[in-house]
Amino acid sequence: MTYGTINADLITTSDGVSAAGLYGMKNRIINGDMRIDQRNAGASVTPTNQQYLVDRWVAGLTQSSKYSFQQNAGSVTPPSGFSKYLGITSLSAYTVTGNDTFLLQQIIEGFNVADFEWGTASASPATLSFWVRSSLTGTFGGSIATTKTAVWVMPFTYTISSANTWTYITVAITAPTATGGANTDNTAGVYVRFGLGSAGTSVGGTAGVWTSAGNYTQPTGSTSIVGTNGATFYITGVQLEKGSTVTSFDYRPYGTELALCQRYYYRTTPVTSSRICMAFASTTTIAYGLINFPVTMRSAPSALEQSGTAGNYGIAYLATSSTCSSVPTFYNGDTAGSQVQFTVASGLTAGQAISFYPTSTSGYLGWSAEL
Amino acid sequence: MIFKIHSVIDGKTIYARIDDDGLCRLTCTEDYPEFKAWIEAGNEPTPADSE
Repeated sequence: MTYGTINADLITTSDGVSAAGLYGMKNRIINGDMRIDQRNAGASVTPTNQQYLVDRWVAGLTQSSKYSFQQNAGSVTPPSGFSKYLGITSLSAYTVTGNDTFLLQQIIEGFNVADFEWGTASASPATLSFWVRSSLTGTFGGSIATTKTAVWVMPFTYTISSANTWTYITVAITAPTATGGANTDNTAGVYVRFGLGSAGTSVGGTAGVWTSAGNYTQPTGSTSIVGTNGATFYITGVQLEKGSTVTSFDYRPYGTELALCQRYYYRTTPVTSSRICMAFASTTTIAYGLINFPVTMRSAPSALEQSGTAGNYGIAYLATSSTCSSVPTFYNGDTAGSQVQFTVASGLTAGQAISFYPTSTSGYLGWSAEL
Repeated sequence: MIFKIHSVIDGKTIYARIDDDGLCRLTCTEDYPEFKAWIEAGNEPTPADSE
């Protein structure tokens, strides 16, 4: 038996998936289906500027307390094929003013969009697709941006015609051949932004046209979510893919998606009395532990997050256990792991081996390498 | 929110972020982006508590 060769510009399967879309990691968005929520575990949060929501998705805001977010806020039925969505709820009827901007954003690492070749003559077009649902109807907006040599933005619009109804949106991204291009290393490559209400220098441009005239969150005139008290904006199934053909959502295994997220943020899962790490005593009150990250992080973390309550943490040695007297403290870190300092009131012996554990389900440790 | 000097370990200063409720939920080095932005905004970390 011999096999022939197929020469074709585009091979499409019966369910509409192109050959290009069959290869791995076609979706450059991580956690596009909003399943991973390491920081908040499904709790409702009123974010501050640059606060992360579900993994990889960050809030941008110029005025505090104008919206809250929650994984599966409002408990509506997600679109078919999805179990989670990111829900945003407006907390007031705020009229945007000055250069206000409110947005939901994911910054894609340059390594993951290098093959787009944006900013060169070989630049590829791309497509953005997502499911969205709002209590409001009308024209909404967002933007795609790069910042390699200068800020270049392609604003886009989309229409929600029916309130409180999931709507599938596709956005064509024209190949940016003559822009400043996207970084292709472990720094910020492409910004994907959904506008929630903006004004002044934060709005402008022409939908579908790349410009360096301003760092626009959304085009002028698009709907402001924060402008209506109680307005909702739910989104899931966000996919950014190379090429001009929109394909079905790239469902990835949960463990794969979690690992992708953990390159940018890792939080230990607090299970009471379950050991976080082994450590050694340095003095009678201080011990150091080394935590290996489950995946190599994008960059070396420079901070340690914890619950803020020393009593959520403890150490055990021989047949003795002690509650920490201070919160765990960052000591150092690299892309593979981090050393953490633990403090108790007394009782340790230098050189002694100990184990470190959470005393409650609130006792987590977290490291960030977000863009 | 403010940052204060937490300690000096091996010649490296560790800072504690004190949230508005008085709790420290984060410690960091001078390389932490949020700390750098806070400093660039004209703020200065407060001294460490005396033992």
